[in-house]
Amino acid sequence: MEKSIYLDNSAATKLDKRVFDEMKSYYFDNYAVATSDFGYSKGIEAKEALENARSVIAHRLGASSQEFIFTSGSTESSNLAIKGVVKALGDKKGKHIIVSKIEDYPVLHSAKALEKEGFTIDYLDVDEYGLVNTDKLAELITEKTILVSIQHGNQEIGTLQDIVKIGEICRNKNVIFHTDATHTFTRIPIDVKTVPVDIITVSAHTIHGPKGIGGLYIRKGTEIKKITDGGYQEFDYRAGIENIPGAVGFAKAVELSTDDESIRLRDMRDKIIELVLSRIPDVCLNGHPQRRIPQNANITFHYVEGESVTLHMDMYGISVSTGSACFSKSLEASHVIAAIGGNHERAHGSIRLTFGRFNTMAEIYETVDTIEKVVAQLRLISPLGHKEV
Amino acid sequence: MADINVDVRKETCPVPLVEMRKALRKALPGDRVIITGTHAASKKEIPMAADALSVKIVSIEESGDEWVIILQK
Repeated sequence: MEKSIYLDNSAATKLDKRVFDEMKSYYFDNYAVATSDFGYSKGIEAKEALENARSVIAHRLGASSQEFIFTSGSTESSNLAIKGVVKALGDKKGKHIIVSKIEDYPVLHSAKALEKEGFTIDYLDVDEYGLVNTDKLAELITEKTILVSIQHGNQEIGTLQDIVKIGEICRNKNVIFHTDATHTFTRIPIDVKTVPVDIITVSAHTIHGPKGIGGLYIRKGTEIKKITDGGYQEFDYRAGIENIPGAVGFAKAVELSTDDESIRLRDMRDKIIELVLSRIPDVCLNGHPQRRIPQNANITFHYVEGESVTLHMDMYGISVSTGSACFSKSLEASHVIAAIGGNHERAHGSIRLTFGRFNTMAEIYETVDTIEKVVAQLRLISPLGHKEV
Repeated sequence: MADINVDVRKETCPVPLVEMRKALRKALPGDRVIITGTHAASKKEIPMAADALSVKIVSIEESGDEWVIILQK
């Protein structure tokens, strides 16, 4: 078998076989739709499985089961969070929303879509590490502000925001606070009893769960309305037949994602950063050196294109990703690197390495050896000016 | 055995490499992939990639601004 080292776990993780084993019977044996106590037994069993799954995930957030709904993933969750609050409060309180400049596309593009509908959006600046300025956030909130949406951990550079402080500001000003925790859920503890956040986006695909299932924590009393019409599923927040195998798989993935695993991921992250920064010249770490998610390292290799590094790494059987959008032929640099003050060259030379359960420390060493070789070769032919290696 | 022609003239990095990879994925053992391009860095980068993939470099020729690299899977 050809070598394969997969280091793009923030895009998608390998499904854990134990997760699949839990899901299987809900495809082949009990495939019924969840029904009430007045329905048939298979439906009641399906309902029980759904509610057990909900309980496991809600518990991990310190929430009650009634405060957690299933969705099809992060994109739907964040769309519902933002547009659902708009639907509930847009005509009642105001049309002002605040998001950070480095949000992932579900939040950023929802905000841009609302801007076209007449909402005023403030895109909050971040510093060189990707941290939002909380004083500036407090200044921007007005009596017309209905929502603040600031992510927990960044999808590209891994920077962790201080969601406790952000939540306190929002709570003091009576504004709903949504955070996208797609890249932090189970990796960094969040307890809604102590973290003043009202709505949280989570997903299974980043923690070795199935694709196509995510969720939304909605604090009891939060003003939000559903944005899709249909049945009354998910406490009437989300219409549509429930994805019970997905929900069961998501819950199993949550159970399997432990604090020990987060430490293991952090160790791999720290090792790769240490080795790359000490062995390869003209590189820089993107994101905060300490306040970052455990599974993310994002490094710019000056004088080379990230896309070229990615392609050459792939030819050695190593999957990494680049933050920039060159493949779309837009030649648009990463909005995250741009927001932290990086120029075009820094954005296009950035490589994201994200770790998961099935990576090993031996793979980290092999990856660094390969990156070192590839970057040295590419710099020799680089049109970007640097010839020394 | 077949020849697969890849015309990446006027394309710049990383497009020639992407197209080379696509052609190699389609090629069967023994097939030749003939890449014609103009971007100078790609002319150096494609043999590097071929080496990493253990693909045979049959020839590299240059005429004016154009180059032709022939690989064999």
